[in-house]
Order: sequence, then C-alpha cells, then structure tokens
Amino acid sequence: MKEKPLQILLVEDNAGDVRLLREMFSKEKRDAFQLTHLLRMSEAETHLAKGGVDIVLLDLGLPDGHGLETVRRAHAAAPEVPVIVLTGLDDEALAAEAMNAGAQDYLIKGQIENRALPRALRHAVERHRMQTETDLIRTNQMQFKDEFLSHVSHELRSPLTAVRQFVTILLDGLAGELNLEQRQYLEIVLRNVKQLHSMINDLFEVSGVQAGKLKIEPQCTSVSDAIGYTVNTLQGAAAAKGIVLSSDIARKVPSVCADPARLRQILIILLDNAIKFTPQNGTVAIQARIFEEDPDFLLLEVSDSGCGIDPDKTERIFERLFQASDPDAADHNGLGLGLYICKDLVTRQGGRIWANSTPEQGSVFSVIFPIFSLPKLLAQAFTEERQTERSITLVVTEIGSQTGWLSNEVRADQCRGIRELLRGSLYSDLDILLPKIDVAGPEEFFFIAAMTDGIGGEAISKRIRKQLDSSERLRQAGLTHSTSHRSLEPIKQDSTESKEVFLERVATDIQAVINEEILARQVRNG
Amino acid sequence: MDSRKILIVDDNADIRLGMHLRLKANQYETFFAADAFSGVAEARKHRPDLIILDLGLPAGDGFTVMERLKQIPFLAVIPVIVVSARDGLGNQKRAYEAGAKAFLQKPVNDAELLAVIRQALGEPAGTKKPTLLDQGSV
Repeated sequence: MKEKPLQILLVEDNAGDVRLLREMFSKEKRDAFQLTHLLRMSEAETHLAKGGVDIVLLDLGLPDGHGLETVRRAHAAAPEVPVIVLTGLDDEALAAEAMNAGAQDYLIKGQIENRALPRALRHAVERHRMQTETDLIRTNQMQFKDEFLSHVSHELRSPLTAVRQFVTILLDGLAGELNLEQRQYLEIVLRNVKQLHSMINDLFEVSGVQAGKLKIEPQCTSVSDAIGYTVNTLQGAAAAKGIVLSSDIARKVPSVCADPARLRQILIILLDNAIKFTPQNGTVAIQARIFEEDPDFLLLEVSDSGCGIDPDKTERIFERLFQASDPDAADHNGLGLGLYICKDLVTRQGGRIWANSTPEQGSVFSVIFPIFSLPKLLAQAFTEERQTERSITLVVTEIGSQTGWLSNEVRADQCRGIRELLRGSLYSDLDILLPKIDVAGPEEFFFIAAMTDGIGGEAISKRIRKQLDSSERLRQAGLTHSTSHRSLEPIKQDSTESKEVFLERVATDIQAVINEEILARQVRNG
Repeated sequence: MDSRKILIVDDNADIRLGMHLRLKANQYETFFAADAFSGVAEARKHRPDLIILDLGLPAGDGFTVMERLKQIPFLAVIPVIVVSARDGLGNQKRAYEAGAKAFLQKPVNDAELLAVIRQALGEPAGTKKPTLLDQGSV
C-alpha cells in the first residue's frame, strides 16, 4: 500500500540552512515527503490556515517573528498541526520553553543526522496524533462523568422531595396530632433529609467544578456584607450547640475582587465546618484584615475551638473525598467535598486557602482574596499579545465631598503598564497635569475617572482636554487626539449606586474603551 | 369567598399527593395532571387560578405546556409556578422567558412554595396562616 507523502512546511530564512535540510530530504524516497519552503512567518500563517500541512519545521529567528512568539503564532494558525522547532543556538532552555509553548519537539541545527530527520518527523506526527486522541478520550470521559453526576443528582431530588413533603406534613399535624416521641423521630428524619439534600447539591456542584463550568463573576465585593450574611445564616446552627459565633472585621476593610455569591458560599462552608467540628459551648470566630505578607490581599480567618486536625493532614483536607475525622462519628457526616469545592472556588478567584491546627485545641482556616483595585481590573484588558510598549496612564481626579473615596482604591504601583499621573486632585491642582505628561513622554492612552458632585466634573474634563490638546510632546509622538485621550468623559456616580457597583462600572467602561482602542489600532496597522 | 383553584402538573404521584395535602390545609382546591398533554386539558377544563408545573413530564415537558397555554387566551393569563428537580442554571432563565412567575428547585420548601403562591395570586402575605412549622431552607 502506498502511503501519502508527508506534507512538511519549512519556515526558515537562512538560505544555507534551507539547502542543508533539502539535501537531507533528497536522500529519502521521492514520494515520502513533500517540502514547502517559506521565508516569513506571515506567509506561513496564511499557508497553515489553508490546511493540508502535516508538520511544521520552524526557525525561531525569522524576519517577521522571533522566539516563542513564532511557535504561538504557528499554533494559533493551525492548532492541530505539530510544530518542530529549529534552533541554531544550542539553547536547551529556549527549546524547553518552546515545548511548553506547544512545540512537539526541537532540533538543533548542525547536530541533525541525515537519516534521523525524516524519522524524527514521522515520530512527531505519530506522537501528536496519539496525544490528540488521548486528549479526546479524556475529554469524553470527563464529559460523560459530569453528565452522569448531573443526571444522578437530578434523579435523586424527586424522591427526596416526596420524603421531605410528607415528613413536614406529619410534623405540621396535617395528618393528626403527634406525641412527643413521634415528633422527635420525625425531626431526625427531616434533619437527615436536609443532610442528603446538601450532599446532592455538593455532588451537583462538584460535577460543575470538574467541568470548569462553574460560573464565577469576580467583581468589587464587600467583605463585611458577606460576613454579615454568613454569620446571620449560621447563627441558629451555632446557638443550637451553645457555640458563640463572633465576627471581628477591621475598620475600613477594603472590598475584594470576588464573586459575591461564591464568597458567601466559601464562608458558609468554612463556618459550617467549624461549627460541626466544635464541641458544645465552644467558640467560632471569623476575622477580616489586610494580609500582612502581601497587602494586595485581604485575609479572612475562620477559627474554632474544635477537635483540630492532625498537622500532617492540614493539606490533604482540601483533597476530594478526604475526611479527617472518624467517618463513623455522628454529626460529622458529609461527602467530604466541601473543602474541595471551597479550594477550587478560592483558587479560581485568584486567592489561596490553607489551614493551621493544633489537635484538641482548634483550627484556623485562612483564605486570602485579592483586594479590589481599579488598575488591576483594567489590566485584564491587556492580554499578553495586546500589551503595548507604551504604558497606560490613568488619571484620577476627585472633587467634592467624597475626595479620597476613589483614589484610595487606585494604587498605580499595583499594576505594571498602568501609571498614575494625578490623584485626589482639587480643581486648582490640574495645571500640574500638563507638565507631568510632558515629562512622562508619549503615552498611549489617557483615561480619567472623575467623580463629581455637580458641574465641577465637566469643567475639569474640559480643562484636561485642553491641556492635552496643547501638549507639544504628544504631537511629536504622533498621537492624535483620538488615540491619546479619547475617554475623558466624566463617569458619574448614580446616587443610588453603592461604591462597589460604581467602581465596577468605572472599570467596565474603561475596559470597553481600551478594547475599542486596541481594535482600532489593529485595523489601522493592518 | 370561594377557595382558589390550583392545578398541579407533576408525573410523580407522591409529590402530587403531598402538594395536595399541603394546599388543602391552606384552603386551596386542587386538580391534577400527570403529563404535559393532560396538563393543558385539565387547565382548559377547570380554569385554575394558578398552575404548579414540573418540567420533566411525559408527552412533552413543562415548556411545551407553557407554550400551549400561551396560545389559548383564557389560559394564557393563569400564573405558572415551575417546580423542578432540574438544575436551575439554564432552566430558571428559560422558565422565566416562557412566562413563569417563579422557579423553585426541588426538594421544595413548603413555606416558600406557599409564599410564592400567595404572591402570584395577589393575596396579601399572612392572610392564610400556613399550618406548618417554618422548616427553613436546607
């Protein structure tokens, strides 16, 4: 049987290297390989997009592409085609990075043996095919498992509904008066029904966790609200065991960047666990303060006077299905998914969770969340490939009664690529804006988030606009009005809006403008 | 005042009975259907004041019931409360889009169900004393 020739795309600008490689292939059987040679990455991208290529031999130093970027571009143009990197540098580190960036293998120029090259190519293609297949099988299996879990938890809910209905009907005396003992037993049934229900929910949740389908929408979230809600919800459960549940929140605790519903869920799991594992008349406390080791994070601590955890198990408790306590112990039952879900939720929101414990004295669960910051949020609009060489300047002015309210949220040093020129400025200070811009050099964008009460905001933005227009430096840098400072409209706060909602809106607005601007620039640059 | 009529559409007989007992205790009159087709037929026959609708049903599903009801003017105005074991994420949105007044996840809390019913019927809260312990949500 005749095999189809292997379609090789060689992207290499060095004529000598090309000749050498061609020679190696010429010694092979005529129909075994078909070599297409291109000089530039842009040509290669077009060629790859058309399809039909089996493998790419890619030089890392092309006239229009360099290093790992070329690997990424090849991968982006044809994700299913394996790439072998050619490097003359004898640089194992770069080669390893190329592999991480998606290359199948690497060959060092000048060290390629004649007969070895075709074999290496065949192997790479085969390896790539097997890998793709394995990935597909894995994905299918995961999907099947998730569908199965989702289906099971759905099916379990219906009978549980009926059980719950009839237990409450009996408890409510709808089928006649109950004596004390009957009532007691039915309450036990109900308690277990609730337990079962929460396990089914965990099961359902974990199928989502595994599939990465869980919806998390990080936003500016008030920690004190979340703590208040959680403590309220679990006060009853704590009181039933005579446990004192207290919260201590540092004054002026900053907002965090998290999904409010998920933050509540995390705190509920942690507090609920603490109550479960703390004996009668113990204490459970929740605290919030800036994280000493990294002030960009807020630390939430849930401590209890419970049975504690074996020190060598404090990491394993976050594993799936792991339970530190004796599984037969009453009251501690669950699927062992709570902390696993917790860890997944925390990690996905850019936080970290860990536990410290002294057996028989109690445990402390610590969670850190990134503190909400405007520049950081904006940084999301700058993905790596969009990162400009020029920095982004964020101009923040505040006037009126609430000065300091916004600028306290904005710390320019928190984010690379965003510099802050002016903050918390009063009207009269604005004249210093222009000299600062001129000293700072050409900037790609200017943004202002001006909080105003009344007419002040408009006057300020007009004035800044005028100053920017008159800047010689900006004109020298070739930046036009539209690219340099297009978003100077003041963003006004609605009187009904909370600070969190307002900041969120400021960030969204600015992100939208940045996206638009980058897109416009890409169009301009072809 | 005559008691208000509620149609329960659910394919699980135990759940129908349980809901009936709870609703009867709160002075509602109940009717039943166990599939999508009879859901619409019973609604036509009894003209209930409210419909409690499961999503997973034989002969169609809850959404087909809501669609059919919409096409019949005197049935289109009846408030529908969806009570389903299906996962809330997409279904809740779909149910509201189809015109449901509320979406409750099974196992449903009776106190919550009664509150939603009263609201959908425009009855002021507390006019009918539910004869149940407040079990709270799970």
